[in-house]
Amino acid sequence: MSDLGTPPVEEEVFSADEHVAAENLAAVSALRTEIDETDLIIETRGLNKRYGKLHAVKDLTLQVPKGAIYGFVGPNGAGKTSTMRMLTTLMRPTSGEAHINGFSVTKDPREVRRSIGYMPDFFGVYEDMKVWEYLDFFAACYEIPEGQRPGLIRDLLELVELSHRRDDMVDKLSRGMKQRLCLARTLAHDPAVLILDEPASGLDPRARVEIRELLIELAKMGKTIFFSSHILADVSEICTHIGILEAGEMVMQGPIKELRKQLSPHRTIVVTLLNRPDEAKQALNLIAGVQNIHDLEPEDGKPRLKIEFTGEDTGISEMLQALMTKGIPVVNFAEEASDLEDVFMKVTKGIVT
Amino acid sequence: MRRLPNPFRLIARNPVALKELRGRMRGPRAFIVLTGYLIVVAGFTVIIYLATTEASLSTTGEVDGGTVGRFLFNSVVAMELFLVTFITPAFTASAISGEHEHQTYDLLRTTLLPERSLVWGKLFSTLAYVMLLLLAAIPLQSIAFLFGGVDLPEIYIAFVTLFATTTLLGTLGVYFSATTRRTLKANIFTYVSTMGLVVITAMAVMVLVSIEVSRSFGGQNNITVAGEWVLLLLRGVFVCLNPLTTLLTSQDYLINQQSAFSFVYTFSDGSTVTLPSPWIVYSIAYMVLSALIFWRTVRVMSEIEE
Repeated sequence: MSDLGTPPVEEEVFSADEHVAAENLAAVSALRTEIDETDLIIETRGLNKRYGKLHAVKDLTLQVPKGAIYGFVGPNGAGKTSTMRMLTTLMRPTSGEAHINGFSVTKDPREVRRSIGYMPDFFGVYEDMKVWEYLDFFAACYEIPEGQRPGLIRDLLELVELSHRRDDMVDKLSRGMKQRLCLARTLAHDPAVLILDEPASGLDPRARVEIRELLIELAKMGKTIFFSSHILADVSEICTHIGILEAGEMVMQGPIKELRKQLSPHRTIVVTLLNRPDEAKQALNLIAGVQNIHDLEPEDGKPRLKIEFTGEDTGISEMLQALMTKGIPVVNFAEEASDLEDVFMKVTKGIVT
Repeated sequence: MRRLPNPFRLIARNPVALKELRGRMRGPRAFIVLTGYLIVVAGFTVIIYLATTEASLSTTGEVDGGTVGRFLFNSVVAMELFLVTFITPAFTASAISGEHEHQTYDLLRTTLLPERSLVWGKLFSTLAYVMLLLLAAIPLQSIAFLFGGVDLPEIYIAFVTLFATTTLLGTLGVYFSATTRRTLKANIFTYVSTMGLVVITAMAVMVLVSIEVSRSFGGQNNITVAGEWVLLLLRGVFVCLNPLTTLLTSQDYLINQQSAFSFVYTFSDGSTVTLPSPWIVYSIAYMVLSALIFWRTVRVMSEIEE
């Protein structure tokens, strides 16, 4: 059959991607407001890990609420993987306590394993197996009854969009597909928490986007996702919470919105006008909470103002209303979101153990 | 009355055993290994047949069927023993270390799979494959029946002894694989232990037999019955730790004393004692050792990284 007359494929995919991205942002925003900060599913107190003289994790107190997408951020060697290995019962803490879903990682390792799905920072796939056999094997390891496995495998492959590769050998899959298959494996026993070590590491941009979408999808299904990353763009886009680890110490953690607020005490609004910038400055200076107004480089000859403001959304609305009342022509009026990279640079000192 | 469990269901319940068997039997590899193994054993059998018939003709002028049959049978079993000694460690030494090297060990450890199921699955799949090789060679062993000189119990004894050997060497391979975490190291340790076991026990038997022979032929009968007991037990221990000496002595007792399960030893003062045939002691000792090593492997695997 001829493809003539069909719309350009690239364009269609791109617009679909944009649509999905917008949906994802909305989903993450919804998640950020729904989470109960007191209902913790991962909690550590005074967690320490020493390797001889090296103190890899120092008195770590980690608090991950149920349903959160928690980005565990830190430079290489900060102690992220050691923490994850302790949480997944693979390594014994030198001291301190860690609980997942109410179970102690040292006293109830089996229950912890039942509660988590773990994906390490390497693929860990058996190359000599078919895709369905790989999932069947792990489902069996998670004690899923034989009769339930075919349906489960079908659902998992559908979720990670690998149904069409069901009978292929694992070694024939691309890197991104292998990563998705690994993610499907972690879900075989329907765990409450997913612990993922650098899930997007080494993937091409498209595969990274696909993994991000998958994580949001899983969060919407009610899973708590705890993942480490040093790709701040990923963390900032999909996380509800972050924890920043440096040299084995937690330097900051909490809901991403609050952290931004703490580190940037004022909000920044950028206004682009057609003309009359001085009149605009006068009008804006009358609004309570406006701290400073700076002139920015004009854009295509249009004057731009940067307003530093401390206050609530009502104050921002008043600013726009004041400009409208004076009849000042506004082309663009937007709050500038503080970049997570700024947050990260502010709280870390660049120490690597 | 309770029904006996279906063995295939039992295998399917151990995901590791099922995965390993699937992987081992997939593609042409399993067929090639089995065919190659049978060609080697069959070729060797033909050479032995030609050599023994030639020797028999040149010494007596006629073919002594019994001698040819027994020699053929012994040669095939020795060949199988040699292959088992080399193949089993090669299969099992990568059992756990391979999981480390393929970075799948952590994935398994975070599942609900008990350590004993992991070790058993690995061991079972290797034993099953080596058993397949041994069973496939039974028709070649049975050629000896055409010539006579071999009884059915000899086949059973050979099979049980080979099975016990495979089990111990397999368990040893898995143990070193779990403790060293590197296949190369595990291979070296397993082969060194295997060679140590086979060579040291064989040398000890040779030394003890030469003492016995020199004592008998030198006319030095001043040894007490207690001393004879010590020598007997010492020799028995070493004989029963070596697969080759076990097979040869068990066959000797079977032929000369017509008993597969026991033999009678006569001391220099004329008193006698009935002892179990070496293959029984050997099989029990190897299976007990295997169980202990298996238990230790599970313990090692259960330890959480510090």
